[in-house]
Amino acid sequence: MRTILAGLPGLAAATATAPAMGTGEVWLFWILAPIAVLAALGMLVAKKAVHSALLLALVMFCLAVFYIAEQAPFLGIVQIVVYTGAVMMLFLFVLMLVGVDSSDSLVETLRGQRLAGLLAGAGFAALLMGGIGSAALGTRAGLGPQSASRNVVDIATLLFTRYTWAFEITSALLITAALGTMVLAHRERTAPRPTQRELSEQRFRSGGQLTPLPAPGVFARHNGVHVPGLLPDGTPSELSINKVLAARGDIRSGQELDTPGIAASTEEEK
Amino acid sequence: MLHTYAASGLVASPASGVFSLTWLLIALPLAGAGVLLLGGRRTDGFGHLLGNATSWAAFLVGLALFAGLLGRGAGSRAVGQHLFSWVPVGGLQVSAGLLLDPLSMCFVLLITFVGSLIHLYSVGYMAHDPDRRRFFAYLNLFVAAMLLLVLSDSYLTLYVGWEGVGLASYLLIGFWNRNPEYAAAAKKAFVVNRVGDFGLSVAIMIMFATFGRVDFVGVFAGTSHASSAVLTAIGLMLLLGATGKSAQFPLQSWLGDAMAGPTPVSALIHAATMVTAGVYLVVRSSPIFDAAPTARLLVVAVGAVTLLFGAVIGLAKDDLKKALAASTMSQIGYMMLGAGLGPVGYSFAIFHLLTHGFFKAGLFLGAGSVMHGMNDQTNLRGFGGLSKVMKITWLTFGAGFLAIIGFPGASGFWSKDKIIEAAFVGSGWQPWVFGLAAMLGAGLTAYYMTRLFAMTFHGQARWSDDVHPHESPLVMTIPMMVLALGSLFLGAVLGPTGAITGWLEPVVGAASEGGTVLAPTVISLATLALVVIGAGLAWLAYGMRPVPTAVPAATWATVAARRDLYQDAFNEAAFMRPGQYLTRSLVYVDNRGVDGVVNGLAALVGGTSGRVRRWQTGFVRSYALSMLTGAAVVVAALLLVRL
Amino acid sequence: MSPLTSSVLTATIQAPKIEYSQVAPMLIVLGAAVLGVLVEAFAARRLRYGLQLGIALVGLLAALVSVALLAGAHHIVAMGAVAVDGPTLFMQGSILVFAVLGVLTMAERSLDPGGTAFAAQAASVPGSTAERDAVGAGIMQTEVFPLTMFAVSGMLLFPASTDLLTMFVALEVLSLPLYLLAGMARRRRLLSQEAALKYFLLGAFSSTFFLYGVALLYGYSGSISLTGIADAVSGATGGDALLLIGTALVSVGLLFKLGAAPFHSWTPDVYQGAPTPLTGFMAAATKVAAFGALLRVLYVALGGVRWDWRPMMWAVAILTMVVGAVVAITQTDVKRMLAYSSIAHAGFLLTGVIATSRAGLSSVMFYLLAYGFSTIGAFAVVTLVRNSGGEATHLSQWAGLGRRSPLVAGIFTLFLLAFAGIPLTSGFTSKFAVFSAAMAGGAAPLVVIGVLVSAVAAFFYVRVIVLMFFSEPVGDGTSVVLPSALTTIAITVGAAMTVVLGVLPGWFLHLADQAAVFVR
Repeated sequence: MRTILAGLPGLAAATATAPAMGTGEVWLFWILAPIAVLAALGMLVAKKAVHSALLLALVMFCLAVFYIAEQAPFLGIVQIVVYTGAVMMLFLFVLMLVGVDSSDSLVETLRGQRLAGLLAGAGFAALLMGGIGSAALGTRAGLGPQSASRNVVDIATLLFTRYTWAFEITSALLITAALGTMVLAHRERTAPRPTQRELSEQRFRSGGQLTPLPAPGVFARHNGVHVPGLLPDGTPSELSINKVLAARGDIRSGQELDTPGIAASTEEEK
Repeated sequence: MLHTYAASGLVASPASGVFSLTWLLIALPLAGAGVLLLGGRRTDGFGHLLGNATSWAAFLVGLALFAGLLGRGAGSRAVGQHLFSWVPVGGLQVSAGLLLDPLSMCFVLLITFVGSLIHLYSVGYMAHDPDRRRFFAYLNLFVAAMLLLVLSDSYLTLYVGWEGVGLASYLLIGFWNRNPEYAAAAKKAFVVNRVGDFGLSVAIMIMFATFGRVDFVGVFAGTSHASSAVLTAIGLMLLLGATGKSAQFPLQSWLGDAMAGPTPVSALIHAATMVTAGVYLVVRSSPIFDAAPTARLLVVAVGAVTLLFGAVIGLAKDDLKKALAASTMSQIGYMMLGAGLGPVGYSFAIFHLLTHGFFKAGLFLGAGSVMHGMNDQTNLRGFGGLSKVMKITWLTFGAGFLAIIGFPGASGFWSKDKIIEAAFVGSGWQPWVFGLAAMLGAGLTAYYMTRLFAMTFHGQARWSDDVHPHESPLVMTIPMMVLALGSLFLGAVLGPTGAITGWLEPVVGAASEGGTVLAPTVISLATLALVVIGAGLAWLAYGMRPVPTAVPAATWATVAARRDLYQDAFNEAAFMRPGQYLTRSLVYVDNRGVDGVVNGLAALVGGTSGRVRRWQTGFVRSYALSMLTGAAVVVAALLLVRL
Repeated sequence: MSPLTSSVLTATIQAPKIEYSQVAPMLIVLGAAVLGVLVEAFAARRLRYGLQLGIALVGLLAALVSVALLAGAHHIVAMGAVAVDGPTLFMQGSILVFAVLGVLTMAERSLDPGGTAFAAQAASVPGSTAERDAVGAGIMQTEVFPLTMFAVSGMLLFPASTDLLTMFVALEVLSLPLYLLAGMARRRRLLSQEAALKYFLLGAFSSTFFLYGVALLYGYSGSISLTGIADAVSGATGGDALLLIGTALVSVGLLFKLGAAPFHSWTPDVYQGAPTPLTGFMAAATKVAAFGALLRVLYVALGGVRWDWRPMMWAVAILTMVVGAVVAITQTDVKRMLAYSSIAHAGFLLTGVIATSRAGLSSVMFYLLAYGFSTIGAFAVVTLVRNSGGEATHLSQWAGLGRRSPLVAGIFTLFLLAFAGIPLTSGFTSKFAVFSAAMAGGAAPLVVIGVLVSAVAAFFYVRVIVLMFFSEPVGDGTSVVLPSALTTIAITVGAAMTVVLGVLPGWFLHLADQAAVFVR
């Protein structure tokens, strides 16, 4: 907080009593702050969910650097390990499961919503900046210097003494989250699990594909998963390729591979 | 609580001896209603007997209390009974208590006696109704609520009783709610009364804000320090409450429709007792009105307008009960007029209220008896010549008739004459306008009552063939006889002897004689002349000549009167239509498929509501936007306060 | 050895002291919740319903007893995180009573042919075969009970927190289970899931405001404990933008939770979409918790700057009352109408908050108690009126209800009259109490507006009464289903307390008055 505010022009008087900021810190701030803000804005307007998630990770990373620069190494590291590392990666896994390419329509159907949103946001930001900017910051106890060496110890002490109760109660939050996940995602079986015998009987009765599916790339010019395998008569087998890939349009058909251009490129790849 | 609450310095002493039974007055009928409502069908067999028993028992308690009060000196005839602490916290003390003084005693006797007679009558009248038990439960509930209204020692408990009688009234108007028209009538009464009740509740709020108390002692003690503007506001709001409950102009329209209820209900609630609650409210609040002359003038004006309004409507109504309802409106107009005149009129207003309670209840019970014998018909043009087949009804109805037109010597003569006389007291334009209006009203009353009486009982029989008129059973005619005796002689007992004025003097102050702009003898004679002319003209038109069974074509004036002087049309044109247009132009999304009651104010609010509702789009992003805007405004507000 | 390691090794931490008996109500409820989770994990499916219901009720009642045993306590415990004082205990008692009634209605199984009001399997897609199979197999989502208990534990802590961090954790603990539960209705599941998502998104949005406000208040005072902020406020000579903006943002977070305009927009959607028994519980108990926290923050921490926040609260109170009452008029759904009515009530309650006095505190506490009983009862009645598609909540389906089921319509009328504030009901006493407190606190114009709004509000309550008793019934198969003892108890208690608090409120008013002192 101190760094950010101190970095704003026109606050020199207010920060007079606070320890002066080093040149490196100033440079750090003015490089990372625009990146963080732009990334945050980009997260909002990005069309694809993956881009949003990655930009969010970037914002969090910038924040982590600020924390460390603010002599709060523990917080900075936790920010990177937990948020940028674990939580964001979980996000990405989920997005992969849902489908990387799924994207929301960004067409605004409500008339005036965007404009009003921008105005309200800008107004709110202006109020906060004006208000906080005019605040006298010099002697705030909350902004006093912390000894770097005591950082982890102080956090631990607070967590296990003053804030034990809040810390313990947080566990209720975690249990609730776990229970909620179960409730929303876990589907109980209504019928007993079919045995292997029942499964195979069912397969034969339904009369579908009895043998294992043909593998992709067999006898084809290319052995990638996106190239259908060829049957003995030379026709490509639709069964050999993944439906998801087919839906995404990433399949090279036999005809395509026959065209000289493509053939040439595949030759090159080899 | 040794504080005076009346102009004369009357102080309520704590209840002891016989007076500690005061609470029984309310508890008895309330217990009856409770047993009958909760007991369900199990109590069907003895429901009517229990209903009668509790009502009569309450009357006996009332008599005992009356004897107790008589035994005291005039200056100490007030007893307060503390029941329980209602809201007992810190600086806020509201307790529920009863106040028995000469004024409430009058009402206690009227309510319990006339009420009990009507209970008795209903045994016969409702004999064939499968829901007779429920009817008696409601009647008992009404009696309990009405007694609470007149016995409470604070405006708050009075308000409870006020709502209670309203509830009983709606339940009884809609008693036969299988008929949608009757249900609509109950609805109308409900809505119109809400407007009035709103006035009363605002009055109580203002009292609390100004005086910090709502009990009579506290409020009246505070009137000397309060500004006249506040007192006028309280007075006007009380008047609004009174006009709603007492069917006074401009909230009169529900009373005619309320005749949909069973006739004993019309007699008890919509003639003798509940509708007079407004008069009670004004008289009880005399210290406020005495200090707010503007409000009091408006009370007189409302009374005068209503008494003429009701009488004109009564001139043309062909429906027996609706004509009587119009006359009730008009007679209560007299009472309001009297109550608004101040100390010269208070006791006469109450006097007229008592005699009216007797003769109007008698008239309604007579009407019920006629309907009982005529297959529940109410069309006057289908009656005629009933005096021969229904002798007792004819005689008792006749007694009520003489009383209401002010036939010399009958009850109404003594009470109405006094109000007319009081209306002439004063100086300037007021006594002339109000006095002449009251006098004119007497002539009109004579005309429409004679018309009604002649069309019902005299002339040739105009019954349809399937009707076989017969006299009602004794259980119905005995109450009618008792009420007829009251109609004839009660006035003479109370009025010329000075009993009523003397009895009420400690509460409402002395009714000084004299000061009229005309000599009292002249007023009396002129009134009498008008009565004779009115009655004579009506007799010539309806008693001597045959009455056509079809409704004859009429002048615009008659048509207007038949249509209740267009009061519904006026309400519709003045409030409903503009409201509806407003709504239509304002409401963007109007899918209110609800069968609601739409009156003007509601439509206006509803229109606003429809507009505001558009903000509720159902899109979470627009909700978030409204929150963000709200947060920005909240921040700005806090920062601005400091600037 | 680096300086860091050496300091870690030399540091000695005093073991924290937790007064377990003083926080027993929360511990008991949390214990019951965890026990419920274990039951889900280990007990056979057919035993779960009975076990869960038993654990929940026993836990709540035990917590209620421990609250009663703590009566008169007046201190800060758990390393300065929790205040055990009159307001805390009064509100914890109210919340626990509402939770008992709420659990009873949630456990009702005889109204819907499928089971409780909650989805057989929340994970199954609405309208899918999996859903049909789950309904057919008679599966029941008994996780509802431990989730409710977690929500209750958060509610118990919310008004008791003495620092903003604990308060924030409590806010999340109470909210998260409610977000989940709101999406679990058995009928009209898409509406319910939509409501839950909206509630979650907007709730998260409001949490950020709260958190930002906490940060600014910390920046101002260097403390997040309420007393610390109060000290900083009283020590400062002039106001500071940090303090004011922090106050505003913390208020926004809390006002959202209690459904005050302009932060109310979630209320009607969520109240309508959520399973009705949950709506009743939420409307009653969340309001208590949120007002408890708001009162503590405004009175304890920010009492010194009341001249700054009062004008803002005035505006919010007026807007809330007006929006609630006016928009309610055009509602055609019973649950939405009750939602707007709850918004209007939040406005009336805010007038009591603005009083900034002991009377204000006690009247708000009494109001919350009275309103909660009526609200739980009213929503329980809504669960009874059904047709083949589940609850019949469109107002037109309620026409003529008074003739078919006079008892049910009569009880609903009682609740509506209480909402309207008709004398002899709890609504009148409580409105009277907050308005007189506001009047004494110098907010007379607010009271005048409150009274006028009450009149408007009375209109739509009366409209429903008129509709029930004086309209022709519609013949679309809507009928009143006879509930089991569970819902019957809830409705009976609600109705009885509505009358008792209206006719003989003396003892409760006295209790609220005795309790109305915050420990500082």
